[in-house]
Amino acid sequence: MSAVTTPARQASGGVNARIVNRIVIYGLLALFALFYLMPLFVMLVTSFKTMDEIQNGNMLALPQAPTFDPWVKAWGETCVGLTCAGIKGYFWNSIKMVVPAVLISTMLGALNGYVLTKWRFRGATLVFGLMLFACFIPFQSVLLPMATILGSLGRFGVSLQNSVGTSFGLGNATVNLVFVHVVYGIGFTTLFFRNYYEAFPTELVKAAQVDGASFFQIFRRIMLPNSMPIFVVTVIYQFTNIWNDFLFASAYAGTGDAMPMTVALNNVVNTSTGVVEYNVNMAAAMIAALPTLLVYVLAGRYFVRGLMAGAVKG
Amino acid sequence: MAFLEIDGLRKRFGQVEILKGIDVELDKGGFLVLVGPSGCGKSTLLNTIAGLETITSGEIRVEGRAINDLHPSKRDIAMVFQSYALYPNMTVAGNISFGMEMRGVPAAERQKAIDKVAKVLQIGHLLQRKPSQLSGGQRQRVAMGRALVRDPKLFLFDEPLSNLDAKLRVDMRIEIKRLHATTGTTIVYVTHDQIEAMTLATKIAVMRDGEVQQFGTPAEIYNNPTNLFVADFMGSPAMNLIPATIGTNGNALSVVLQREAREPISLPMANAPAGLSAFQGKPIIFGVRPEALTDPEGAERNASNIATADCFVEVVEPAGSDTFAVTNLGGKGVVARLRADANIQPGTNTPLAFNLTKAVFFDPATENRIL
Repeated sequence: MSAVTTPARQASGGVNARIVNRIVIYGLLALFALFYLMPLFVMLVTSFKTMDEIQNGNMLALPQAPTFDPWVKAWGETCVGLTCAGIKGYFWNSIKMVVPAVLISTMLGALNGYVLTKWRFRGATLVFGLMLFACFIPFQSVLLPMATILGSLGRFGVSLQNSVGTSFGLGNATVNLVFVHVVYGIGFTTLFFRNYYEAFPTELVKAAQVDGASFFQIFRRIMLPNSMPIFVVTVIYQFTNIWNDFLFASAYAGTGDAMPMTVALNNVVNTSTGVVEYNVNMAAAMIAALPTLLVYVLAGRYFVRGLMAGAVKG
Repeated sequence: MAFLEIDGLRKRFGQVEILKGIDVELDKGGFLVLVGPSGCGKSTLLNTIAGLETITSGEIRVEGRAINDLHPSKRDIAMVFQSYALYPNMTVAGNISFGMEMRGVPAAERQKAIDKVAKVLQIGHLLQRKPSQLSGGQRQRVAMGRALVRDPKLFLFDEPLSNLDAKLRVDMRIEIKRLHATTGTTIVYVTHDQIEAMTLATKIAVMRDGEVQQFGTPAEIYNNPTNLFVADFMGSPAMNLIPATIGTNGNALSVVLQREAREPISLPMANAPAGLSAFQGKPIIFGVRPEALTDPEGAERNASNIATADCFVEVVEPAGSDTFAVTNLGGKGVVARLRADANIQPGTNTPLAFNLTKAVFFDPATENRIL
C-alpha cells in the first residue's frame, strides 16, 4: 500500500515545495526591486512637493498637493553658481556636445570595424589590440596630457583666427569636449562594430565588389543598413557615457558658457547660500536623467533580432 | 585561342602555396566545372578569376585580354555565391539592380532589365520581397537573376547548390543546365559534388592540393582517369580499385585477384594492351567501375572482352533502379552493379562478369595510370 501512496505524497510535497520556492524567489526579487527603486521614488515624489511639505512631512509620503513649480523653477529660474536662469541653457549645452560626440564616435567605430574585418591589412590585429587597449586606460590618467593637447589646439585656433579669419571651432569648450569624447569612445565603438562585423557574411562584401560598389558605397549601402542592432547598442552606450560624464566636463568645461548638464547640476546642488531647495534639486536631477532614459525607451525598440535573416543560407 | 585561358596560375599565402601552376582553358559557351575535395583550391581559383583574390604569378585571359589586374567589377563577370549573398536590406528588385545602379544605368533601363530577368527565372511575383521572406530555392533563383542581369562574358558559380536540400538540388541543377543551354553563356562552376560535375560540365578540372589532376570532358574523366585519385573521386558508387598482379595464362596475360581463404581469380585478358606485359608478376591496381562488374545476363552484349568468375556475395543492396552486390577481392570490398531484378542471394557464390574492355590499371607506387 505504501508503494501506492508514496508517489502521490511525493508529488503533493513537490508542489508545495515549488510554491514555497516561488514565494521566496519572487519575494527576494520584489525586495531588491523595491530597494533599487526607492531613491527614484523619493526623488520623484520630492520633486512634486512644496518646501513646506518636505520640511514637515515624511520623505516617503506622496505629495498632498502635487505641484510642477519645482520643475519649472529648476528648468528656468534656479541659480547655477551666480546666474539664476535655470538649467535649461546647460541642458542644451549637453545636447550640443553629446549628439555630435555620439554620432562621430559611432560612425568612426563602424568604419574601423568595417576595415578591420573586411579589408584586412598587415597588422590589423595589432591595430585592433591597441584600440582595445584604449578601453582600459583610466580617465584620470589622460586628464593632464589631454589638457595640454587641448591647450595647444586652442592656441592653434587663435592663430588660425588671426590668419584665416576662423578658428574652425578649435579652442571652443564644446568642441574640445566632443573631441575628447570621440577619442575616448573610439576604442569602445570599434570593439562593438568589429565584433559585429566579424560575423557579418564576407560574401556580401564580395558580391558588392563584383557589382562594382566602391569602398564607401559598400559601407553605406551594405554594411550600415544591416548594422541596426549594434548601432543602437553603441549609441545607447555612448550616449549614456558621454551624457553622464562629469570628470571631463568639469575638467575642460567646468566654468563658463559651455558647461554641460552634469557640472551645472552639481553646482545647483552644492549651493551654499540660503535654504536647500530639495524639491528643485530633485527636479533638476530628474531632468538631467531624462535624456538617457528617453534614448533607452526610443532606441531600445530597434533592438530587433534576426535582421540578417535571409542574407545567407537556405 | 580559347575564350577563357588560365596560364600557369600560382597563388601563395605567405609560405603556403594554394595553387601550384594551374593551366585550364575553356571555349566560348562552355561549362567548366572545378571539382575536388575541400581545401583543394577550387574556390580560390574561382576567386582569382573573379578578382576577389590576387594571384602570385601566371595570367588569366578572357578573349585574349589579360584580366588578372582588373578590379572585379571591370572584368565583365557575374558571380553566384555559395550563400547566395543577397543584400538583406534590399528587395529582390533592389538586389538584382544594385550592380546596374553602381554602374549608373538609368532607372527606366534598370526596370526593363529586371522585368526581363524576372520573366526568365519566373520570380516576377517576388520582386518587392526581402530575401528573408524567400525560400531557399527562391533565394537561389534571385542570386542567379542578379548574375544574369549583367549579361556578362563569364558566369562564376561557387557551390551554388550546396545549401539546398536533395530534391531541390536536383531541380536547380536541371534549371542551371537549361539556363546554360538556352542562353549559351560561358560558365565556370565550383563544386565538390562529382554528380553535379558530371551532369553539368562540358569540361571538368579535377583538383587536389592546388593542382589540376585531370582536365577533360566528363566522359574522358569518367572512362579514362589519369590517376588513382581521379578514378576514386569521380563516380558514385566509386570505382573498385583492387590490388592485383599480372599473370600469364598460356600466351595471354591475365589479371590475378587474391581472395580470402580461396584460390585466386584469374581473369584472362584477350588482346591485352601492349604496355601491360611489362608488369608481369608485379603488383598493380586493377580498376573496374561497378557497372562494368555485373551478372553475366546483364553484361554488355557487344563488349569484346568479358571474363566471368564465381564470387562470394557478402551483402546485397537493392537500390530500386539497380541492385548492388558487395564481394571481397584482393582484400577490399568490391561493389558490383546488377539489374534491379537480378536473382542474387547474399552468402552464395554467384558468377559475376568483368567487362575488361572498361578496366583500367594503375601503378600502386606512382598512383598513375598504366593503361
